[in-house]
Amino acid sequence: MTSPSSPEQPWPVRTVSRKVAEWIGRLGEVWVEGQVAQLSRRGNAATVFLTLRDPAADLSIPVTCPRDVADRPGLELTEGARVVVRARPDYYVARGSFSLRATEIRAVGLGELLARIERIRRLLAAEGLFDAARKRPLPFAPAVVGVITGRESAAERDVLVTARRRWPAVRFTVHNCATQGPTAAESVIAGLRKLDADPAVEVIVIARGGGSVEDLLPFSDEGLVRAIAATRTPVVTAVGHETDTTLVDHVADVRAATPTDAAHRVVPEIGEQRRLVEGLRARARHLLGTRLEQQERWLEQVRSRPVLAEPQRLLAGRADDVSGLRTRATRTLTHRIEVADRDLVHARAQVTALSPAATLERGYAVLQRAGGALVRDPAEVSDDEQLQVRVAGGRLPVRVDRPATGEDGAP
Amino acid sequence: MSSPESAEPTQTYEQAREELADVVRRLEAGGLTLEESLALWERGEQLAEVCQHWLDRARERLAAAAPTD
Repeated sequence: MTSPSSPEQPWPVRTVSRKVAEWIGRLGEVWVEGQVAQLSRRGNAATVFLTLRDPAADLSIPVTCPRDVADRPGLELTEGARVVVRARPDYYVARGSFSLRATEIRAVGLGELLARIERIRRLLAAEGLFDAARKRPLPFAPAVVGVITGRESAAERDVLVTARRRWPAVRFTVHNCATQGPTAAESVIAGLRKLDADPAVEVIVIARGGGSVEDLLPFSDEGLVRAIAATRTPVVTAVGHETDTTLVDHVADVRAATPTDAAHRVVPEIGEQRRLVEGLRARARHLLGTRLEQQERWLEQVRSRPVLAEPQRLLAGRADDVSGLRTRATRTLTHRIEVADRDLVHARAQVTALSPAATLERGYAVLQRAGGALVRDPAEVSDDEQLQVRVAGGRLPVRVDRPATGEDGAP
Repeated sequence: MSSPESAEPTQTYEQAREELADVVRRLEAGGLTLEESLALWERGEQLAEVCQHWLDRARERLAAAAPTD
Protein backbone atom coordinates (compact mmCIF):
# COMPACT_ATOMS: atom_id res chain seq x y z
CA MET A 1 0.00 0.00 0.00
CA THR A 2 1.16 3.53 -0.80
CA SER A 3 0.98 6.01 2.04
CA PRO A 4 -1.55 8.87 1.65
CA SER A 5 -0.30 11.86 -0.29
CA SER A 6 0.45 15.21 1.37
CA PRO A 7 2.19 18.44 0.36
CA GLU A 8 5.33 17.04 2.01
CA GLN A 9 4.97 13.62 0.41
CA PRO A 10 3.29 14.05 -3.02
CA TRP A 11 2.78 11.08 -5.32
CA PRO A 12 4.64 10.90 -8.55
CA VAL A 13 2.54 11.06 -11.75
CA ARG A 14 3.10 7.36 -12.45
CA THR A 15 1.58 6.42 -9.14
CA VAL A 16 -1.56 8.48 -9.81
CA SER A 17 -1.82 7.07 -13.33
CA ARG A 18 -1.41 3.55 -12.09
CA LYS A 19 -4.04 4.02 -9.38
CA VAL A 20 -6.57 5.55 -11.84
CA ALA A 21 -5.85 2.80 -14.36
CA GLU A 22 -6.37 0.15 -11.71
CA TRP A 23 -9.63 1.68 -10.60
CA ILE A 24 -10.97 2.03 -14.13
CA GLY A 25 -9.77 -1.47 -14.95
CA ARG A 26 -11.99 -2.84 -12.23
CA LEU A 27 -15.12 -1.31 -13.83
CA GLY A 28 -15.57 -4.26 -16.11
CA GLU A 29 -17.46 -4.69 -19.34
CA VAL A 30 -20.48 -2.53 -20.34
CA TRP A 31 -22.97 -2.39 -23.24
CA VAL A 32 -23.37 1.18 -24.47
CA GLU A 33 -25.51 2.70 -27.22
CA GLY A 34 -24.74 5.83 -29.15
CA GLN A 35 -24.12 7.43 -32.50
CA VAL A 36 -20.84 7.27 -34.39
CA ALA A 37 -19.78 10.90 -34.62
CA GLN A 38 -16.26 10.48 -36.02
CA LEU A 39 -14.53 7.51 -37.46
CA SER A 40 -10.87 7.25 -38.30
CA ARG A 41 -9.09 4.37 -39.87
CA ARG A 42 -5.44 5.20 -40.21
CA GLY A 43 -3.92 3.27 -43.07
CA ASN A 44 -3.45 -0.29 -42.05
CA ALA A 45 -3.21 0.49 -38.34
CA ALA A 46 -4.54 -2.30 -36.18
CA THR A 47 -6.72 0.01 -34.14
CA VAL A 48 -9.69 2.04 -35.33
CA PHE A 49 -10.63 5.22 -33.45
CA LEU A 50 -14.15 6.46 -33.27
CA THR A 51 -16.18 8.94 -31.24
CA LEU A 52 -19.41 7.75 -29.73
CA ARG A 53 -21.90 10.53 -29.20
CA ASP A 54 -25.02 10.71 -27.12
CA PRO A 55 -27.75 11.96 -29.51
CA ALA A 56 -29.74 13.64 -26.73
CA ALA A 57 -26.91 15.31 -24.84
CA ASP A 58 -23.91 17.25 -25.94
CA LEU A 59 -21.27 14.74 -24.85
CA SER A 60 -19.21 11.96 -26.33
CA ILE A 61 -16.65 9.31 -25.45
CA PRO A 62 -13.68 8.18 -27.55
CA VAL A 63 -13.75 4.52 -28.46
CA THR A 64 -10.93 2.33 -29.73
CA CYS A 65 -11.46 -1.01 -31.29
CA PRO A 66 -9.43 -3.63 -33.12
CA ARG A 67 -9.69 -3.44 -36.84
CA ASP A 68 -11.41 -6.78 -37.22
CA VAL A 69 -14.14 -5.67 -34.82
CA ALA A 70 -14.78 -2.52 -36.86
CA ASP A 71 -14.65 -4.27 -40.21
CA ARG A 72 -16.76 -7.28 -39.24
CA PRO A 73 -18.79 -8.33 -42.30
CA GLY A 74 -22.41 -7.16 -42.03
CA LEU A 75 -21.55 -4.16 -39.96
CA GLU A 76 -21.39 -1.03 -42.05
CA LEU A 77 -19.71 1.33 -39.69
CA THR A 78 -20.17 4.91 -40.92
CA GLU A 79 -20.41 8.31 -39.31
CA GLY A 80 -23.96 8.94 -38.10
CA ALA A 81 -24.73 5.25 -37.59
CA ARG A 82 -26.44 4.14 -34.43
CA VAL A 83 -24.50 1.41 -32.73
CA VAL A 84 -24.51 -0.74 -29.62
CA VAL A 85 -20.97 -1.32 -28.36
CA ARG A 86 -19.68 -3.91 -25.93
CA ALA A 87 -16.67 -2.25 -24.32
CA ARG A 88 -14.44 -2.02 -21.38
CA PRO A 89 -13.49 1.37 -19.91
CA ASP A 90 -9.81 1.89 -20.41
CA TYR A 91 -7.29 4.37 -19.17
CA TYR A 92 -4.28 4.93 -21.39
CA VAL A 93 -1.58 5.77 -18.91
CA ALA A 94 0.92 7.12 -21.45
CA ARG A 95 -1.44 10.04 -22.26
CA GLY A 96 -3.71 10.07 -19.26
CA SER A 97 -6.70 9.68 -21.56
CA PHE A 98 -9.92 7.79 -21.07
CA SER A 99 -11.60 5.67 -23.70
CA LEU A 100 -13.75 2.63 -24.23
CA ARG A 101 -12.10 -0.38 -25.71
CA ALA A 102 -14.67 -2.11 -27.86
CA THR A 103 -14.75 -5.85 -28.22
CA GLU A 104 -17.97 -5.99 -30.20
CA ILE A 105 -19.97 -3.49 -32.25
CA ARG A 106 -23.55 -4.07 -33.42
CA ALA A 107 -25.53 -1.81 -35.70
CA VAL A 108 -28.89 -0.73 -34.34
CA GLY A 109 -31.51 -2.16 -36.67
CA LEU A 110 -34.24 -0.14 -38.34
CA GLY A 111 -36.96 -1.76 -36.29
CA GLU A 112 -35.04 -0.98 -33.17
CA LEU A 113 -34.54 2.65 -34.26
CA LEU A 114 -38.27 3.07 -34.82
CA ALA A 115 -39.04 1.43 -31.49
CA ARG A 116 -36.66 3.86 -29.82
CA ILE A 117 -38.33 6.84 -31.55
CA GLU A 118 -41.67 5.50 -30.40
CA ARG A 119 -40.39 5.33 -26.80
CA ILE A 120 -39.21 8.95 -26.98
CA ARG A 121 -42.51 9.94 -28.56
CA ARG A 122 -44.47 8.38 -25.67
CA LEU A 123 -42.20 10.03 -23.14
CA LEU A 124 -42.64 13.49 -24.69
CA ALA A 125 -46.36 12.99 -25.25
CA ALA A 126 -46.73 12.12 -21.58
CA GLU A 127 -44.98 15.38 -20.76
CA GLY A 128 -47.63 17.17 -22.83
CA LEU A 129 -45.22 18.53 -25.45
CA PHE A 130 -47.51 17.47 -28.30
CA ASP A 131 -50.75 18.81 -26.77
CA ALA A 132 -53.05 20.70 -29.11
CA ALA A 133 -53.33 23.45 -26.48
CA ARG A 134 -49.63 24.22 -26.97
CA LYS A 135 -50.03 24.89 -30.68
CA ARG A 136 -49.61 28.57 -31.44
CA PRO A 137 -51.47 30.27 -34.31
CA LEU A 138 -49.33 31.42 -37.22
CA PRO A 139 -49.14 35.14 -38.05
CA PHE A 140 -51.42 36.14 -40.95
CA ALA A 141 -48.83 37.73 -43.25
CA PRO A 142 -45.39 37.62 -41.60
CA ALA A 143 -42.88 40.23 -42.73
CA VAL A 144 -39.92 37.96 -42.09
CA VAL A 145 -39.96 34.15 -42.28
CA GLY A 146 -37.08 32.21 -40.76
CA VAL A 147 -36.07 29.17 -42.79
CA ILE A 148 -33.87 26.33 -41.54
CA THR A 149 -32.81 24.05 -44.36
CA GLY A 150 -29.89 22.45 -46.14
CA ARG A 151 -27.74 24.73 -48.28
CA GLU A 152 -29.09 25.02 -51.82
CA SER A 153 -31.52 22.23 -51.19
CA ALA A 154 -34.70 21.65 -53.18
CA ALA A 155 -36.58 22.20 -49.91
CA GLU A 156 -35.12 25.70 -49.56
CA ARG A 157 -35.96 26.59 -53.14
CA ASP A 158 -39.52 25.24 -52.79
CA VAL A 159 -40.19 27.30 -49.66
CA LEU A 160 -38.66 30.53 -50.97
CA VAL A 161 -40.07 30.41 -54.50
CA THR A 162 -43.57 29.38 -53.46
CA ALA A 163 -43.82 31.89 -50.62
CA ARG A 164 -42.55 34.77 -52.81
CA ARG A 165 -45.00 33.90 -55.55
CA ARG A 166 -47.89 33.95 -53.09
CA TRP A 167 -46.83 37.03 -51.14
CA PRO A 168 -44.13 39.06 -52.94
CA ALA A 169 -43.43 41.31 -49.92
CA VAL A 170 -42.25 38.42 -47.75
CA ARG A 171 -38.62 38.44 -46.59
CA PHE A 172 -36.55 35.50 -45.37
CA THR A 173 -33.81 34.88 -42.88
CA VAL A 174 -32.29 31.60 -43.98
CA HIS A 175 -30.18 29.44 -41.75
CA ASN A 176 -28.40 26.77 -43.74
CA CYS A 177 -27.26 23.73 -41.81
CA ALA A 178 -26.63 20.02 -41.98
CA THR A 179 -29.91 18.16 -42.31
CA GLN A 180 -28.56 14.66 -41.89
CA GLY A 181 -25.71 12.94 -40.12
CA PRO A 182 -24.54 13.13 -36.52
CA THR A 183 -24.35 16.93 -36.33
CA ALA A 184 -27.71 17.66 -37.95
CA ALA A 185 -29.86 17.85 -34.82
CA GLU A 186 -27.42 20.14 -33.08
CA SER A 187 -27.04 22.29 -36.16
CA VAL A 188 -30.81 22.65 -36.51
CA ILE A 189 -31.09 23.51 -32.82
CA ALA A 190 -28.45 26.23 -33.23
CA GLY A 191 -30.40 27.71 -36.17
CA LEU A 192 -33.62 27.53 -34.23
CA ARG A 193 -32.15 29.43 -31.26
CA LYS A 194 -30.63 32.06 -33.54
CA LEU A 195 -33.87 32.67 -35.48
CA ASP A 196 -35.99 32.57 -32.32
CA ALA A 197 -33.78 35.25 -30.79
CA ASP A 198 -34.32 37.52 -33.83
CA PRO A 199 -37.35 39.71 -33.02
CA ALA A 200 -38.02 40.36 -36.73
CA VAL A 201 -38.64 36.68 -37.45
CA GLU A 202 -42.35 35.98 -37.03
CA VAL A 203 -42.46 32.31 -37.98
CA ILE A 204 -39.82 29.61 -38.48
CA VAL A 205 -39.95 26.91 -41.15
CA ILE A 206 -37.83 23.78 -40.77
CA ALA A 207 -37.72 22.15 -44.19
CA ARG A 208 -36.01 19.09 -45.54
CA GLY A 209 -36.71 16.86 -48.51
CA GLY A 210 -37.48 13.18 -48.26
CA GLY A 211 -34.93 10.57 -47.25
CA SER A 212 -34.44 7.23 -45.58
CA VAL A 213 -35.54 6.67 -42.01
CA GLU A 214 -31.89 6.98 -40.98
CA ASP A 215 -31.54 10.25 -42.89
CA LEU A 216 -34.51 11.71 -41.11
CA LEU A 217 -33.36 10.49 -37.73
CA PRO A 218 -32.06 13.90 -36.54
CA PHE A 219 -35.62 15.20 -36.83
CA SER A 220 -36.74 12.75 -34.18
CA ASP A 221 -33.97 13.88 -31.88
CA GLU A 222 -35.25 14.48 -28.36
CA GLY A 223 -33.09 17.57 -27.94
CA LEU A 224 -34.44 19.13 -31.14
CA VAL A 225 -38.03 18.35 -30.17
CA ARG A 226 -37.51 20.06 -26.81
CA ALA A 227 -35.83 23.04 -28.49
CA ILE A 228 -38.86 23.50 -30.78
CA ALA A 229 -41.19 23.28 -27.80
CA ALA A 230 -39.16 26.00 -26.08
CA THR A 231 -39.29 28.57 -28.91
CA ARG A 232 -41.20 31.81 -28.60
CA THR A 233 -41.76 31.91 -32.38
CA PRO A 234 -44.28 29.56 -34.02
CA VAL A 235 -42.61 26.70 -35.91
CA VAL A 236 -43.77 24.98 -39.10
CA THR A 237 -42.11 21.70 -40.06
CA ALA A 238 -41.92 20.19 -43.51
CA VAL A 239 -39.65 17.20 -43.19
CA GLY A 240 -39.55 14.38 -45.70
CA HIS A 241 -42.50 13.27 -47.73
CA GLU A 242 -46.05 13.29 -46.53
CA THR A 243 -45.78 9.70 -45.38
CA ASP A 244 -42.71 10.27 -43.21
CA THR A 245 -43.47 11.23 -39.68
CA THR A 246 -40.70 12.51 -37.47
CA LEU A 247 -41.04 13.67 -33.88
CA VAL A 248 -40.58 17.33 -34.84
CA ASP A 249 -43.85 17.03 -36.76
CA HIS A 250 -45.63 16.26 -33.50
CA VAL A 251 -44.21 19.20 -31.59
CA ALA A 252 -44.44 21.76 -34.41
CA ASP A 253 -47.25 24.30 -34.29
CA VAL A 254 -48.14 23.36 -37.86
CA ARG A 255 -47.02 20.27 -39.72
CA ALA A 256 -46.78 20.82 -43.44
CA ALA A 257 -46.76 17.87 -45.81
CA THR A 258 -43.94 19.26 -47.98
CA PRO A 259 -41.75 22.39 -48.18
CA THR A 260 -44.16 23.81 -50.81
CA ASP A 261 -47.07 23.17 -48.47
CA ALA A 262 -45.15 24.95 -45.70
CA ALA A 263 -44.93 28.05 -47.91
CA HIS A 264 -48.70 27.85 -48.43
CA ARG A 265 -49.23 27.72 -44.69
CA VAL A 266 -46.99 30.63 -43.70
CA VAL A 267 -48.05 33.28 -46.22
CA PRO A 268 -51.47 34.15 -47.68
CA GLU A 269 -52.07 34.29 -51.41
CA ILE A 270 -51.95 37.94 -52.46
CA GLY A 271 -54.44 37.70 -55.33
CA GLU A 272 -56.96 35.97 -53.13
CA GLN A 273 -56.54 38.65 -50.45
CA ARG A 274 -56.89 41.43 -53.02
CA ARG A 275 -60.10 39.89 -54.31
CA LEU A 276 -61.37 39.55 -50.78
CA VAL A 277 -60.65 43.20 -50.00
CA GLU A 278 -62.13 44.32 -53.34
CA GLY A 279 -65.27 42.31 -52.63
CA LEU A 280 -65.70 43.84 -49.19
CA ARG A 281 -65.01 47.28 -50.59
CA ALA A 282 -67.62 46.88 -53.31
CA ARG A 283 -70.17 45.68 -50.80
CA ALA A 284 -69.52 48.63 -48.51
CA ARG A 285 -69.78 51.07 -51.42
CA HIS A 286 -73.00 49.51 -52.66
CA LEU A 287 -74.51 49.58 -49.20
CA LEU A 288 -73.64 53.22 -48.71
CA GLY A 289 -74.82 54.14 -52.20
CA THR A 290 -78.18 52.48 -51.64
CA ARG A 291 -78.62 54.20 -48.33
CA LEU A 292 -77.79 57.56 -49.88
CA GLU A 293 -80.18 57.08 -52.79
CA GLN A 294 -82.93 56.15 -50.38
CA GLN A 295 -82.38 59.36 -48.42
CA GLU A 296 -82.21 61.42 -51.61
CA ARG A 297 -85.54 59.98 -52.74
CA TRP A 298 -87.04 60.77 -49.36
CA LEU A 299 -85.85 64.36 -49.49
CA GLU A 300 -87.07 64.79 -53.05
CA GLN A 301 -90.47 63.43 -52.12
CA VAL A 302 -90.74 65.73 -49.08
CA ARG A 303 -89.66 68.74 -51.10
CA SER A 304 -92.27 68.01 -53.74
CA ARG A 305 -95.11 67.93 -51.20
CA PRO A 306 -97.51 70.82 -52.08
CA VAL A 307 -96.95 72.57 -48.75
CA LEU A 308 -93.26 72.99 -49.55
CA ALA A 309 -93.17 72.98 -53.34
CA GLU A 310 -95.96 75.54 -53.92
CA PRO A 311 -95.82 78.09 -51.19
CA GLN A 312 -98.10 80.37 -53.27
CA ARG A 313 -100.90 78.00 -52.34
CA LEU A 314 -100.52 79.24 -48.83
CA LEU A 315 -101.68 82.62 -50.20
CA ALA A 316 -104.16 81.37 -52.76
CA GLY A 317 -106.89 80.43 -50.31
CA ARG A 318 -106.39 83.56 -48.35
CA ALA A 319 -106.69 85.84 -51.41
CA ASP A 320 -110.01 84.18 -52.30
CA ASP A 321 -111.20 84.80 -48.78
CA VAL A 322 -110.35 88.46 -49.02
CA SER A 323 -111.95 89.00 -52.42
CA GLY A 324 -115.03 87.08 -51.28
CA LEU A 325 -115.44 89.26 -48.27
CA ARG A 326 -114.82 92.31 -50.40
CA THR A 327 -117.54 91.31 -52.84
CA ARG A 328 -119.90 90.64 -50.02
CA ALA A 329 -119.19 94.04 -48.52
CA THR A 330 -119.75 95.82 -51.84
CA ARG A 331 -122.94 93.95 -52.51
CA THR A 332 -124.33 94.75 -49.09
CA LEU A 333 -123.57 98.45 -49.44
CA THR A 334 -125.02 98.69 -52.94
CA HIS A 335 -128.21 97.07 -51.73
CA ARG A 336 -128.51 99.52 -48.88
CA ILE A 337 -128.10 102.48 -51.23
CA GLU A 338 -130.77 101.17 -53.54
CA VAL A 339 -133.16 100.69 -50.67
CA ALA A 340 -132.51 104.23 -49.47
CA ASP A 341 -133.04 105.54 -52.98
CA ARG A 342 -136.41 103.83 -53.24
CA ASP A 343 -137.43 105.22 -49.85
CA LEU A 344 -136.56 108.69 -51.04
CA VAL A 345 -138.72 108.45 -54.17
CA HIS A 346 -141.60 107.19 -52.12
CA ALA A 347 -141.23 109.96 -49.56
CA ARG A 348 -141.06 112.50 -52.31
CA ALA A 349 -144.36 111.25 -53.75
CA GLN A 350 -145.91 111.45 -50.34
CA VAL A 351 -144.61 114.99 -49.90
CA THR A 352 -146.04 115.94 -53.23
CA ALA A 353 -149.37 114.37 -52.43
CA LEU A 354 -149.59 116.14 -49.10
CA SER A 355 -148.45 119.61 -50.32
CA PRO A 356 -150.97 122.57 -50.62
CA ALA A 357 -149.92 123.24 -54.22
CA ALA A 358 -152.90 121.31 -55.58
CA THR A 359 -155.31 123.41 -53.50
CA LEU A 360 -153.64 126.59 -54.74
CA GLU A 361 -154.07 125.32 -58.28
CA ARG A 362 -157.73 125.27 -57.70
CA GLY A 363 -157.63 129.06 -57.03
CA TYR A 364 -157.14 129.18 -53.31
CA ALA A 365 -154.59 131.55 -51.81
CA VAL A 366 -152.59 131.47 -48.65
CA LEU A 367 -151.85 134.62 -46.69
CA GLN A 368 -148.58 134.80 -44.81
CA ARG A 369 -147.14 137.34 -42.46
CA ALA A 370 -143.55 138.54 -42.81
CA GLY A 371 -142.33 135.70 -40.55
CA GLY A 372 -144.04 133.13 -42.77
CA ALA A 373 -146.88 132.37 -40.33
CA LEU A 374 -150.23 131.69 -41.97
CA VAL A 375 -152.98 134.22 -41.34
CA ARG A 376 -156.15 132.49 -40.14
CA ASP A 377 -157.97 135.43 -38.45
CA PRO A 378 -158.30 139.15 -39.53
CA ALA A 379 -157.57 140.08 -35.93
CA GLU A 380 -154.09 138.66 -36.25
CA VAL A 381 -152.96 141.35 -38.57
CA SER A 382 -152.66 145.08 -38.00
CA ASP A 383 -153.64 147.90 -40.36
CA ASP A 384 -151.21 148.67 -43.13
CA GLU A 385 -149.24 145.47 -42.36
CA GLN A 386 -147.33 144.07 -45.31
CA LEU A 387 -148.39 140.47 -46.08
CA GLN A 388 -147.68 137.92 -48.72
CA VAL A 389 -150.29 136.16 -50.75
CA ARG A 390 -149.28 132.83 -52.16
CA VAL A 391 -151.17 131.52 -55.14
CA ALA A 392 -150.44 128.73 -57.51
CA GLY A 393 -148.52 131.01 -59.81
CA GLY A 394 -146.28 132.61 -57.14
CA ARG A 395 -146.13 135.21 -54.40
CA LEU A 396 -147.86 138.58 -54.31
CA PRO A 397 -147.15 141.34 -51.74
CA VAL A 398 -150.28 143.03 -50.31
CA ARG A 399 -151.18 145.65 -47.66
CA VAL A 400 -153.97 145.53 -45.15
CA ASP A 401 -156.41 148.38 -46.12
CA ARG A 402 -159.28 148.09 -43.63
CA PRO A 403 -162.09 150.78 -43.36
CA ALA A 404 -162.52 152.33 -39.92
CA THR A 405 -166.14 151.15 -39.63
CA GLY A 406 -165.00 147.80 -38.96
CA GLU A 407 -166.96 145.34 -40.87
CA ASP A 408 -165.04 142.80 -38.97
CA GLY A 409 -163.99 140.20 -41.32
CA ALA A 410 -167.38 139.12 -42.26
CA PRO A 411 -166.93 138.13 -45.84
CA MET B 1 -83.10 82.50 -46.28
CA SER B 2 -79.54 81.61 -45.33
CA SER B 3 -77.26 80.00 -47.88
CA PRO B 4 -76.18 76.63 -46.49
CA GLU B 5 -73.18 76.52 -48.83
CA SER B 6 -71.40 79.30 -46.95
CA ALA B 7 -70.88 77.45 -43.68
CA GLU B 8 -71.23 73.97 -42.31
CA PRO B 9 -74.73 73.49 -40.89
CA THR B 10 -74.70 72.88 -37.19
CA GLN B 11 -77.47 70.34 -37.51
CA THR B 12 -76.74 66.76 -38.49
CA TYR B 13 -78.60 65.20 -41.38
CA GLU B 14 -80.81 63.21 -39.03
CA GLN B 15 -81.72 66.25 -36.93
CA ALA B 16 -82.59 68.30 -40.00
CA ARG B 17 -84.54 65.47 -41.51
CA GLU B 18 -86.62 64.87 -38.40
CA GLU B 19 -87.44 68.55 -38.02
CA LEU B 20 -88.31 68.83 -41.72
CA ALA B 21 -90.75 65.94 -41.43
CA ASP B 22 -92.33 67.69 -38.45
CA VAL B 23 -92.62 71.00 -40.32
CA VAL B 24 -94.38 69.32 -43.24
CA ARG B 25 -96.71 67.51 -40.88
CA ARG B 26 -97.70 70.77 -39.21
CA LEU B 27 -98.14 72.58 -42.52
CA GLU B 28 -100.34 69.80 -43.85
CA ALA B 29 -102.42 69.71 -40.69
CA GLY B 30 -103.34 73.37 -41.26
CA GLY B 31 -105.09 75.56 -38.70
CA LEU B 32 -102.27 78.10 -38.61
CA THR B 33 -102.22 81.86 -39.10
CA LEU B 34 -100.76 83.12 -42.36
CA GLU B 35 -97.76 84.52 -40.56
CA GLU B 36 -97.18 81.20 -38.79
CA SER B 37 -97.48 79.09 -41.92
CA LEU B 38 -95.12 81.40 -43.84
CA ALA B 39 -92.52 81.19 -41.09
CA LEU B 40 -92.92 77.43 -41.01
CA TRP B 41 -92.54 77.16 -44.78
CA GLU B 42 -89.35 79.22 -44.66
CA ARG B 43 -87.99 76.96 -41.94
CA GLY B 44 -88.87 73.93 -44.06
CA GLU B 45 -86.94 75.35 -47.03
CA GLN B 46 -83.95 75.92 -44.79
CA LEU B 47 -84.09 72.37 -43.44
CA ALA B 48 -84.45 70.90 -46.90
CA GLU B 49 -81.29 72.79 -47.91
CA VAL B 50 -79.42 71.40 -44.92
CA CYS B 51 -80.50 67.86 -45.83
CA GLN B 52 -79.54 68.43 -49.47
CA HIS B 53 -76.17 69.78 -48.39
CA TRP B 54 -75.35 66.69 -46.35
CA LEU B 55 -76.52 64.33 -49.10
CA ASP B 56 -74.49 66.19 -51.73
CA ARG B 57 -71.44 66.07 -49.48
CA ALA B 58 -71.91 62.33 -48.95
CA ARG B 59 -72.23 61.82 -52.70
CA GLU B 60 -69.02 63.80 -53.29
CA ARG B 61 -67.11 61.80 -50.72
CA LEU B 62 -68.35 58.56 -52.18
CA ALA B 63 -67.25 59.69 -55.62
CA ALA B 64 -63.85 60.79 -54.28
CA ALA B 65 -63.25 57.32 -52.85
CA ALA B 66 -64.24 55.62 -56.07
CA PRO B 67 -61.67 53.33 -57.66
CA THR B 68 -59.84 55.05 -60.51
CA ASP B 69 -60.49 52.29 -63.03
